[in-house]
Amino acid sequence: MSLAAPSVTVFRVFEKNPMNKKQYKPCGTIDHGIGRRQFMGEFLTGMGAIAGTSLFSHPLGATEIAKHGKSVVVVYLKGGVSQFESWDPKTDLETGGPFKSIPTSVPGIHVSELLPHTAGQMHHMALIRSISTDLDDHGLANNIVRSGRTTRSATEYPELGAVVAKGLERADFPLPGHIATMVGGAGRRGRNAAYLGPRYSSVSVGAEKGGIVNTQLPDGMSVSVDSRRHDWRRFVNSRHRSKIQSAEMDAYTQCYEQALRLMEKRELFDISHEAESVQEAYGKSEFGKQMLLARRLVEQEVPFIEIQHDGWDFHHNNFEFHLHYVADFDRPFAHFLSDLNQRGLLERTLVIVMTEFGRTPKINAGYGRDHYPNAWSIALAGCGIQHGAVIGSTDAKGVEVTDRKVDHRHLFHTYLRAVGIDSSGEFDVAGRKFPIADPAYGPIKELLA
Amino acid sequence: MTTTLNPKEEATAPKFDPRAAKLVSDWAHTAKLLCCRVDPTGKYVVAGAIDYTIQRWEIATGAKTALVGHDNWVRTLGFSPDGSMLFSGAYDGRLISWEIAAEMPQPKQIIQAHQGWLRGLAVSQDGQRVVTCGNDKLVKVWSAVDGQLIREMSGHPKLPYCVQFVPGTYDVVSGDVVGKIYHWKADDSGLLRNFDASEMFSNIGDIAPFGGVINLTFSPDSKRLTATGLHKCSNAPAGNRRAVALSFDWATAEKLPKQECIQKELDATMWRAVYHPSGTMIGIVEKEIGFWNPGTEDVFHLAATPSDIFDCDLHPNQLNLYTAHFDGHLRSMRLSPS
Repeated sequence: MSLAAPSVTVFRVFEKNPMNKKQYKPCGTIDHGIGRRQFMGEFLTGMGAIAGTSLFSHPLGATEIAKHGKSVVVVYLKGGVSQFESWDPKTDLETGGPFKSIPTSVPGIHVSELLPHTAGQMHHMALIRSISTDLDDHGLANNIVRSGRTTRSATEYPELGAVVAKGLERADFPLPGHIATMVGGAGRRGRNAAYLGPRYSSVSVGAEKGGIVNTQLPDGMSVSVDSRRHDWRRFVNSRHRSKIQSAEMDAYTQCYEQALRLMEKRELFDISHEAESVQEAYGKSEFGKQMLLARRLVEQEVPFIEIQHDGWDFHHNNFEFHLHYVADFDRPFAHFLSDLNQRGLLERTLVIVMTEFGRTPKINAGYGRDHYPNAWSIALAGCGIQHGAVIGSTDAKGVEVTDRKVDHRHLFHTYLRAVGIDSSGEFDVAGRKFPIADPAYGPIKELLA
Repeated sequence: MTTTLNPKEEATAPKFDPRAAKLVSDWAHTAKLLCCRVDPTGKYVVAGAIDYTIQRWEIATGAKTALVGHDNWVRTLGFSPDGSMLFSGAYDGRLISWEIAAEMPQPKQIIQAHQGWLRGLAVSQDGQRVVTCGNDKLVKVWSAVDGQLIREMSGHPKLPYCVQFVPGTYDVVSGDVVGKIYHWKADDSGLLRNFDASEMFSNIGDIAPFGGVINLTFSPDSKRLTATGLHKCSNAPAGNRRAVALSFDWATAEKLPKQECIQKELDATMWRAVYHPSGTMIGIVEKEIGFWNPGTEDVFHLAATPSDIFDCDLHPNQLNLYTAHFDGHLRSMRLSPS
């Protein structure tokens, strides 16, 4: 796919908005970003002990990255949110559905009436309405939007979370760089870092009152006894490692140490520490709690945080379901943006509302919409992007992209560039070069701030 | 409307026989149809569409006229008992009245009845009142004469889908998405009792309720209240569910055996059922029309149509069933031998 002539519609935000002075500082452009050498140097710092890579370190890169302290927050609407009922509403009587469009805080931009709260935050956001991808299978589509690649070989590519965790890593950072939140769920490690290694795979963290689940010492075990246990484990590991080394063993050891650091930071995950008014503002839904937890993690400068909002695959009863699901998303998400902005965090945080494909213009006999990768939308907010931008467009019925067709590969480059990672760089794993993003594609330059 | 026949006429009059059902008319519109009603005089049949219009067909000629006044999908319709007035409700939240016999009917009265979608309406037997429900979770009773709000009832925890007047009274029943059916007194004393149809609600998580009481209807003798909808939902977003009718003894609120279309595997919602004066229940099940007898679990006959059906209504002759279809067609099925 070749890039069409760049075109972007940038709607002017309210001139009188008193918050504007603070909101539109560009950040994350390539000029402020991390050069390839710096990225590779930082990559080496973290990876040198893993997988026998021949990567070299570059301490200046780490310093630069630490200064930035950026975060990426992905809100993944799993199943395929309808672009008609969210970011690209249509008035066409045949395909548009029963929901109207409403104006937003950016004159000229309209979104579905189901998003009244988010509409009020549009001056922090940008929309991409011209995404066209090939795959309409959930699993395959999920893979390409997360990895920025269309995999046709045995090579597995790291997902965005792993790449960002690597790219924004700080040597002394006490938390995992790639966290997937789950309110009330148990922790587990994803397998999404491919050749970057398990250090950058997602850590799913369940939170409840008191912090992360299953992180309290057992009854009867004192801190000193626990400490002695770990000292003994480290001693045995070290002795064993002096004779035999393997990537698996190192990863295992890292997991232990990371778990201990998480236990020390368990209070971070306890949203009950927040004022009741703050919890109310986010809402007491599971999604609202996760958004509040995400804000707490952004405050800690966790590089990559993912929140999943699952179940958007409405082949049946699409409009009834969107009525409820978009409402469940809208208020917590809008408050999240507002809260980040008020705390000065939005200028260093890229927020992506991701999904794997859109829904069909055709309304089926169950008043559902089916999978549609041909013309769909996502929303972005925060740092590194032009606020109030709308990239591309679709025709009146929402069937075809009519302007600035882009796909998952352009998006992947764009996400990375927005937080200052040079997406044209390469990973060097044991002497083998892996482009960080698909080298045949590039970012949506006109979207970048 | 009923007609008394002399013995000779009686012998030659067509008999209700669903097994002989066949399509006898098929009128096309350009947009999907969501609802339909036949006027009590039998002159017109009307249907609400997703192109925001109501389409009126003159039954004798098939002449079609558009009624324009809503600004969203037209979801629910009801006639005054004398057939002079049509009331319509739509996803624009409006309740509109129309003088149906006008050459080009115009909105007579437009009421912004609900915040969000207006989902259900019914007209009282004497034609004096209209009851509506909507996304604001409210049930409202209006004067059919001047459009004044008479009463407003709140209490449904989730969205109410349908309303009916209790025959011969101004009492109201309303059913909601979580399977609650409330019986409201005509005066301001509020909720009188409730019926438990929670088995028609599918709990698929905290975000969106699914299923519930889609439609309510009384048996001809008013002794039974029947709720229609779905149950046995195995995958709501994929639409895996079974159509069902659940009846209650009106006097005792006791549940009667469920009726579902067992003989044929159909992912379906029973959007509406109507009672034939003979007591046979007629329910729409996906593209088919099912016929049940009271006390039986399964249909005794299924009549096929070409497209999914979202509403139905009996002609006052009780022998023609009109159906509103997903393909934009309004069809009529004759329920007797030719």
